Amino acid sequence: MLLTHTPARRARFASAVALAFVTPTLLLSACASTPSTTSMHDPASAPGAVYAPETLAPGRYALVVLGMSCPKCISNVDLQLARIEGLRDAKVDMRHGLVTFSVPGPTHPSRAAVSQAILDAGFTLREIRRIDAEGGAS
Amino acid sequence: MRFMRLASTTSARVLARGIACSPLIAVGTSHAQEMLSMPAATAPSPGVLIPRVQARAYFYEDGQSLLEQDIRLEYGLARDVSISVDLPLYQGFFDPPRPSDGEFGLGDLEAIVELRVLREDLDTISTLRAAVYAGAEVPTGTGGFGGDSFDPCVGGVMTGIFGRHGVDLSGRWTFVTGDGPFLPIFATDADDDFANVDLGYAYRLYPSEYGEERVGAWYATVELNTVWTTGGEHEVLLSPGLLLEAPTYAVELGLQLPISSETSDSTADARPELRLGIVAGLRLIF
Repeated sequence: MLLTHTPARRARFASAVALAFVTPTLLLSACASTPSTTSMHDPASAPGAVYAPETLAPGRYALVVLGMSCPKCISNVDLQLARIEGLRDAKVDMRHGLVTFSVPGPTHPSRAAVSQAILDAGFTLREIRRIDAEGGAS
Repeated sequence: MRFMRLASTTSARVLARGIACSPLIAVGTSHAQEMLSMPAATAPSPGVLIPRVQARAYFYEDGQSLLEQDIRLEYGLARDVSISVDLPLYQGFFDPPRPSDGEFGLGDLEAIVELRVLREDLDTISTLRAAVYAGAEVPTGTGGFGGDSFDPCVGGVMTGIFGRHGVDLSGRWTFVTGDGPFLPIFATDADDDFANVDLGYAYRLYPSEYGEERVGAWYATVELNTVWTTGGEHEVLLSPGLLLEAPTYAVELGLQLPISSETSDSTADARPELRLGIVAGLRLIF
């Protein structure tokens, strides 16, 4: 095993370990200091989007989502949205890149929680729209 | 990513066992258009655990064969950070017989930390993603399978999905710090460092366009899986496959066809020549 190796091989082993584990640590640190990488769309910067840390009023909503490229994406979105209290009946329409759901109340999820869920699922949230008779786009 | 290693009595018995065993252990979820024999720049969401199992049957010259059951667990630590462990299980049938012939043996466990460095969603379907990863192979092998050393590795992978087309490009370098198995099977079993370079393409056969209903998607895939060692060995496999991916499960079936191989003097006598590999996998999503 390692103890029987020559000094040169031990040195090479040590440098390989350093390269293997230091590199991702540095990358991780870099990403941690930058909350949102430039490649990820911030919903607040999307044209027409209104993004604020407020709660969603009872009603039906549609999320405009980018990057849902396969059926697996449906499960990813389902899993993340299911963790949000007060959000019901989530449905994914891959053709149009829409995720619809209801907020029946009395618990009102926050826009931030919905946005985080889509980002955590691995996709880009472009917009949150209210689609029932009450709202129009909100 | 043990599946990146390249490889291949009774061939029918091996194949039947492989196909029979795979669904027994298969639980978990699938990854977006993930190829059969190379990594993709996809990762589980935070807090999500993804088990994956594949069965592989390798057929070598003179009727020799090897069955591999590959168990992989992947866990999302944060939005763009995941860890995975991969443990292969082998059963070989070789001529002349090896000490472990006919018995199951563990291969080397592999642990990987992956960091997604790019996510650019281009439209409702299309996306471009990239990840870098690092980890190591841990000498857990038994029965003559696996090496005797802790071998670090680094790599990167890029995945692009553009409508019905998907492309994966992956590269990895493994630092071999000890000796390989006493009797080598794979091109990576020598005590030389090696590189894996893989290129994959997937085409969505059905549906041509997604509807509003939840449907499974059929993909035809083709990969070029290559390994190059510092000792001068190389192996190039062409790997066509078929993938059915639904919201709650995925089924995959593929072949691995050797198209170029070069062995070094030190392993030429011991390492059997691969003729064909067959891959079958079943993934479930909870």
